[in-house]
Amino acid sequence: MVKFLMLSVVLVAVFANSAFACSNPEVTSKYFTTQDATIVSHIGFISEFSVKCSSGQVSSLYAQLEDGSIIPVAIVGPQTYQVSWTEESKLAYSGQRNIRIFDEDGYTAVRKALRNNEPASSVPEFFSVSVNHSGAYNGPWVKSEFIAVVVSIIVSQFALTTKSKIVS
Amino acid sequence: MAKQSSKGFTKEEELLLQDFSRNVSTKSSALFYGNAFIVSAIPIWLFWRIHMMDIYSSLILFLAVTAASTYLLAMAYRNTKFTLKHKIAIKREDAVTRDLLKKLSDDKKMSKKEKDERILWQKNEVADFEATTYSIFYNNALFLTIVILVSFYFLRSLSPAVNYTLSIGIGSGLLALLSTGSQ
Repeated sequence: MVKFLMLSVVLVAVFANSAFACSNPEVTSKYFTTQDATIVSHIGFISEFSVKCSSGQVSSLYAQLEDGSIIPVAIVGPQTYQVSWTEESKLAYSGQRNIRIFDEDGYTAVRKALRNNEPASSVPEFFSVSVNHSGAYNGPWVKSEFIAVVVSIIVSQFALTTKSKIVS
Repeated sequence: MAKQSSKGFTKEEELLLQDFSRNVSTKSSALFYGNAFIVSAIPIWLFWRIHMMDIYSSLILFLAVTAASTYLLAMAYRNTKFTLKHKIAIKREDAVTRDLLKKLSDDKKMSKKEKDERILWQKNEVADFEATTYSIFYNNALFLTIVILVSFYFLRSLSPAVNYTLSIGIGSGLLALLSTGSQ
């Protein structure tokens, strides 16, 4: 009896889930990436997006980053979600990053695919958002001490040549 | 000296050569030590503001290294001046003589000996001034180049206190050593 009850609860949950799953999601996203990397070692990436469904509700969302790792998406407001991560500033290339977002079902399918050693790309994503990193400022091309050294070497060179002229 | 004068040195030149001793006048010495102190103290700013050394806790180190560097740099100034003064005197001799003779040409009363003495004195003054200023410029330029190069590139990984001591020590020590050479 207990088993039957549990099974029916699970079945109801599954059906309820599929019945109220979000359809035709309309996604608007914005993003932020670190612009000034002179005093930081990592570049921060934040993608914030809102999802509007024509019907149903959005379940928990998961994001697959470009490196393949899957992280849960934070809910920061009504229908507003946020995913953020950092990359080492030396390795963070400038350009577009495509973030695949999965809902609960998609996440399960991805986990299953990974268990079976299949690529996660075989699972269709719920939707995807993109983050464009325009590159961060890493400080001036020429460091000030280099300029100081060059200038002082030029002055020293002048001093040395003058001395050799006097001595000769 | 007597031998030298027979080889072509006049008495006046001998007098001049006597002026070319390593001993410098008090005025010149003060100039050297003052300059050496300023140049030795300048890197403190570099290590205080750029290498982030605490000025109060490192005060004793700053004072000791600055004092040692001042002494060594003043020595380098003195030696460089000594090396250069004679050379400059020879180089400027003709110009000074010509200039002074032109000035003194109207003065008929002045004897030739007196004129020669004036020329000698003037030549000595010119050479002294030029050698002093050039010696200060030369040593300052090399000292700051060595300090910047050593502290920012060669000893970059060391702690600021060690970096400071070594870069200033290498800079002033090397110049003092090089100045003892004849060239």
